[in-house]
Amino acid sequence: MKIFRLMQVMTVFFSTVWLSSCIENEPLNAECDIVSASLPEELLVRPAEIVDRKDVHSVTFIVKNFVDVTALAPEFEITPGATIAPASGTVRDFSDPQEYTVTSEDGEWSKTYTVIAKHDDPIALKYSFENARVVPANSQGGMCDEFVEFSPTDPNVPNMVWASGNQGFGLTNGKKGPETYPTFQADNGVVGRCAGLVTRSTGTFGAMVGMPLAAGNLFIGKFDMTNAVNKPLEATQFGTSFYYVPIGLRGYYRYAPGEKFMKLVDRKLVEVPGRIDECDIYAVFYERTADMEYLDGNNVLSDDNPNIIAVARLDEDQRKGAADWTHFDVEFKYRPDKSLDPEKLENGVYALAVVMTSSIEGAKFSGAIGSALFVDELEVVCL
Amino acid sequence: MNIKRYIIGALAVAFGFVGATAQVDRSLAVIKAMLHGFEYEVYAGTNIGGASPLPLPAEIREINSYSPELNLQIGATVTKWMDVQKKWGLSLGVRLETKGMETKAAVKNYGMAIIQDGATVSGRWTGMVQTRYHSQQLVFPLTAVFKAHKRLKVHAGPYVAFAFSNDFDGYVYDGYLREGDPTGPKISFEGDSRANYDFGDNLRHFQWGMQGGVTWTAYKHLLVNANLAWGCNDIFESSFKTVTFNLYPIYLNVGFGYLF
Repeated sequence: MKIFRLMQVMTVFFSTVWLSSCIENEPLNAECDIVSASLPEELLVRPAEIVDRKDVHSVTFIVKNFVDVTALAPEFEITPGATIAPASGTVRDFSDPQEYTVTSEDGEWSKTYTVIAKHDDPIALKYSFENARVVPANSQGGMCDEFVEFSPTDPNVPNMVWASGNQGFGLTNGKKGPETYPTFQADNGVVGRCAGLVTRSTGTFGAMVGMPLAAGNLFIGKFDMTNAVNKPLEATQFGTSFYYVPIGLRGYYRYAPGEKFMKLVDRKLVEVPGRIDECDIYAVFYERTADMEYLDGNNVLSDDNPNIIAVARLDEDQRKGAADWTHFDVEFKYRPDKSLDPEKLENGVYALAVVMTSSIEGAKFSGAIGSALFVDELEVVCL
Repeated sequence: MNIKRYIIGALAVAFGFVGATAQVDRSLAVIKAMLHGFEYEVYAGTNIGGASPLPLPAEIREINSYSPELNLQIGATVTKWMDVQKKWGLSLGVRLETKGMETKAAVKNYGMAIIQDGATVSGRWTGMVQTRYHSQQLVFPLTAVFKAHKRLKVHAGPYVAFAFSNDFDGYVYDGYLREGDPTGPKISFEGDSRANYDFGDNLRHFQWGMQGGVTWTAYKHLLVNANLAWGCNDIFESSFKTVTFNLYPIYLNVGFGYLF
């Protein structure tokens, strides 16, 4: 054996040397992203939001009310080696959306981003889930639903899109359509249509990455695909600027937990007999700071999160289930020693996150497949 | 020498039933003449190599680690010398061997499409790929032999192999996937995050290739072998599209043999 090993070692040495010399020159970069976008800090209500999806590439700047959008010079950081036209720092008139094209270093790929700069438009407070559009969920032809809300001041202008984990689920779902996704628009709402959230199995692909199920979820904020596998708790970014003082959250829901509660153990699902899945519906009113622009799966309900001002949430009995449409009306419980600064309120420093899920531990990939939550006529009640 | 006797004996039994005693005597003589000029060898050795794309695509940036695994082989060869001086001959062999390897490679913009249950995840992976290939095979080489020197034989020829146990699996880690094409959504895999793959079911059971090598006679009965076996067909079935380039098994066998 020893002499075989010696022969092996010598041959490995020579072949590794030979193989290394076979490595070709580094190919030029094929990627063409806007990695970050900025305007001078004092002009912005909050950091720029970049959306990078199969059908939509956009950058949105929300500027303070005194800012003149007709002459702004945003700066962009792009993939190393790529080029952007027009150049970063060009002064442009953002009364209408402006386009920038990023081309990859190897010249074979490009993306056109639509860049918007606008004043903030407070979000609507009532949600009927009547407006959903069907969008691509992957490059295989899979499609999923996306709920859109319109501006209270102009009902033709969409100013908020509900986020969900659908784009992440899309990776596992091939060509299938919206009704197979964890989050979809459903019929038989209290009035018209409603939001449907169902915990699904992610099949072979989900098992490959150690995420065997996906809870239906719907929230105000953004789903960061980049961290979908890496740091799933941080992929769900909750919250957006809020200009009112919330006192209650009310609406209608119905929930039926799935049959078998499964827990994630060592990248696989293991049944937990006797345990029953729960849904969750809650809203969190918090203060945005430089280190906490959004809340995420790690801290959105944490008792020791210093930025949280008030939380409204279904109680345990309500989370366990409701066979038929049931009305709920929960008040925002304000945390002790939290006072509101009127100036911060006016400048959009405070934010609201509304979160719904069909499996309360879905963020940890535990729950019952088939748990189904339906929500309709949701309203945030404010002073 | 015992083997010769047994073979002669078996052949005699097979042929001997035809004809009378005199014919049996003559058959035996014929058989003896036929069996003159055969050499028998058994050998054991080890395989070092791997399943490699040729040439190495530009997407492969670095081979970070390579482990050949302990790939053992045992086999036997029969050589028939064609001429009196025993300079030229023909060898037929059989060997049982393991071809294996484990590699870690860094890749950039490496196209992949994984197809499972009718659904596809495809895109470009930039990051680390760990691969393990393990195949147990029955190989039949047929080679021409040239005795270059009293102690040195050179041989070359084709082989066919039947893989009866096949594994090809691994995982990707420490990198990111661009879904669809390089402009698609970027999904990071850091720390412990990884995606496992297993393509063992898509490996071919039948391989063929060319081999060539030398055998040095150290002592009257002890041989030292070195042989390069170069696969000529992809280790994967042609219907398998996930790995976009062909992987050829290229292995160096080294070992010792016993010449009867």
